[in-house]
Amino acid sequence: MIVLRFVLLRLIQMIPALIGITIVAFLLLRVLPGDPASLLIGARGSTEEVEALRHQLGLDAPLWQQYLTFLGDMANGSFGQSITQRRPVATVVLERLPPTLVLIAYSTVLAIILTVPLAMLAAVRRNSWIDFAIKAVFVVAMSMPPFWLGVLLILLFGLKFPIFPVSGYGEGVFGHLWHLFLPAFVIALGTAALTIRSLRSSIIAVRTADFIDTARAKGLPENAVLRRHVLRNSLISTISVLSVHTSWIIGGTVVIEAVFALPGVGDLLVTSIFTRDYPVVQGLTVTFAALVMLISLITDVAYAAVDPRIRLE
Amino acid sequence: MRTNPLRAVAFALLAAASLSVANAPAAAETFRLGVKTDALSLDPIATSDNASIWAQLLIYDQLVRPTEDGTELMPGLAESWEQSADGKSYTFHLREAKFSNGDPVTAEDVVFSLERAASESSNWSGFFRPIVAVEAVDDRTVTVKLDEPFTPLINNLAMFSAAVLPADLVESQGNAFFENPIGSGPFVLEEWQRGGKMVLAANPHYWQEGKPYVDGAELVVVGEDNSRVLQLRSGNLDAIIGVPFNQVNSLGADPNIDAGVANVFRIELVQLNTTKEPFGDERVRQALNYAVDREGIVQGILFGNGKPAVSSLPVMAYHNEELEPYPHDPAKAQALLAEAGLGDGFSTTMLVPSGDATYQQVASAIQANLAEVGVQVRLQLIESGAQWDTTKSGDYEMSLSYATSDTIDPDQLIGFTAVNPERANAYHTEWRSERLNELYEQERRTPNGPERGAMFKEMEQIVHDGAPFIFLYNMGAPYASRSNVEGFAILPTSNWRLENVKLQ
Repeated sequence: MIVLRFVLLRLIQMIPALIGITIVAFLLLRVLPGDPASLLIGARGSTEEVEALRHQLGLDAPLWQQYLTFLGDMANGSFGQSITQRRPVATVVLERLPPTLVLIAYSTVLAIILTVPLAMLAAVRRNSWIDFAIKAVFVVAMSMPPFWLGVLLILLFGLKFPIFPVSGYGEGVFGHLWHLFLPAFVIALGTAALTIRSLRSSIIAVRTADFIDTARAKGLPENAVLRRHVLRNSLISTISVLSVHTSWIIGGTVVIEAVFALPGVGDLLVTSIFTRDYPVVQGLTVTFAALVMLISLITDVAYAAVDPRIRLE
Repeated sequence: MRTNPLRAVAFALLAAASLSVANAPAAAETFRLGVKTDALSLDPIATSDNASIWAQLLIYDQLVRPTEDGTELMPGLAESWEQSADGKSYTFHLREAKFSNGDPVTAEDVVFSLERAASESSNWSGFFRPIVAVEAVDDRTVTVKLDEPFTPLINNLAMFSAAVLPADLVESQGNAFFENPIGSGPFVLEEWQRGGKMVLAANPHYWQEGKPYVDGAELVVVGEDNSRVLQLRSGNLDAIIGVPFNQVNSLGADPNIDAGVANVFRIELVQLNTTKEPFGDERVRQALNYAVDREGIVQGILFGNGKPAVSSLPVMAYHNEELEPYPHDPAKAQALLAEAGLGDGFSTTMLVPSGDATYQQVASAIQANLAEVGVQVRLQLIESGAQWDTTKSGDYEMSLSYATSDTIDPDQLIGFTAVNPERANAYHTEWRSERLNELYEQERRTPNGPERGAMFKEMEQIVHDGAPFIFLYNMGAPYASRSNVEGFAILPTSNWRLENVKLQ
């Protein structure tokens, strides 16, 4: 019940922040040079034709009026009409959202799967060859540009050893997981490089704490001490790192989507910015903002789940 | 779908639960083309992006269409047509064609579609403005009336925006029609995964008996150039467009792949703002043209996949064969600059579209060439969406850009790049030649033939001499296909017709 109340309260608190974001998104787009109507007609039309289209699109109205129209479109759930596609923005965005969401969730899960055992190993065998090896591999992984790593993996798994598909989104749950493995892996490597280091150092710090000595003293086997006491107490800072990084990835899947030809929102965002499709960019900005807030909400709930001392209020 | 035991094992290891993978059974013969961007809309009067236009040309037909070499028009939905003696009306005789739902294509559909293309809600109405009436004489005869002779019109009727749509369906369904459009072209839209791929099936009612040869086609969106090349190499795609220039030769060396460069109606140039000094002086503009080493740029940056340009028109109908590109002659450039009182050179700024490696290389080459004759150019990167507005407002000195033609008639490009004011004040250079403006008016009223041809040749000569641009080169459109593909080609209008594609 407390969790539910907490979630509800947080959702309500998001509304003012979201409204702030709509204003910023709206104004930033209008500051950008370039005009949707002249980009749409471009070289082919006369000035009068461009003006007629601007009028038709409502772009000649005063800014405050355009903003109110946008708020109204948001309230009715359509988020307005895409200028280039002539379809509701909500439809345009929602049909491109699943691949990106699955990719983000998938890469986060992969990152966690990589992080927990490797960080524990590195911390327990601190300063051994295995610790250095893990550090070396992930420093290299983090330094490699994702698009380059992506192309390398496509070369390796698409041409030399055709084990994984190298493009597209696939059909069905399994199809998605299979098709998205390589792109999710590329993102996960970058994330894990950060989280492994964070988790490793907190494990090392926690292991020297007094309560760990107590746990050992009461006769718990080292494995149980690690899992039940050390890991739980070390996770908080890593969850923060993971949360910040995942929020950052939301806007950053663009490159990976392009390399692996995924029909996600990244490509939609880039195209819409280039064509100055204001309503779509606004819709995407609000969506991204909502996602980032959702992640921070999940993070808070996760804190409480790992550490019962943290209360949700 | 190919099954590979290794893949299955790897996947089984990854997966915790076991569900069956839904494998879509591949159609008997599907041609998979890798493209760079997805279409935005299939409404022919609402779009201006190439991806949309190219997809529409597979789904809809026009009354007439360009021949494969782009030199003349051939019958499309109209079996034949004639022009009245006064040049003020065209009569089209429709063939017995059907839409993909089996309904016949009637004169009423043509009337509806052309009126729609010329209407307020059309982004392309300007192209059909000279039309005063479209009338259905009978079920299969349409007359298009003009208030004065307008020769380019017939070419505009071959444009994607003049697509013939089923009147009753568009009227009853409105915008929803374009989600599931019906046309009389070789292909029907079967499924569209936005941003992913467009699945097309052969139109069973297509009027060209036996075509298309393939059962279906997929336009697969692979945005990243290297990925697209790799997908072709691995056999996931049958053909790709937009091959990076530096990979055309290495791809062609692969025995399983044929690579080529198509000649398209596109011209690369540097706009010179003639209202800003010293670009108002013709000698300065000519000097800049002499200073640039076109051949060097084509060889060094395009790997030979282009032709030095003579004017703001690519090589197309009525091209003036007598013109030669400005030779690379720094001495002459310096002499002309000295004559104009700029013996010590000058400094200026050039807008360069950002996000395109080729443009940035070309800009650096121009910068180096001009530095040799004492002209210091500062490069200013600009996002392509902002470039148009910046040059249109006249707030620039030089701008690296390009122009393309939607039709096979040079009227569109000459009007755009050299006539002032017309559509774009000579592509925002504000250059003006009264003689050229006059020729443009005449050309539009003169029937096709040597007389009209001579007018274009003279106009091209005037542009060449007046040099409102640094003319750069005609850039080819590189493409590649697997060697079992036959009949895939990029047309001069940059699109492709897939009804002639065969898979061996």
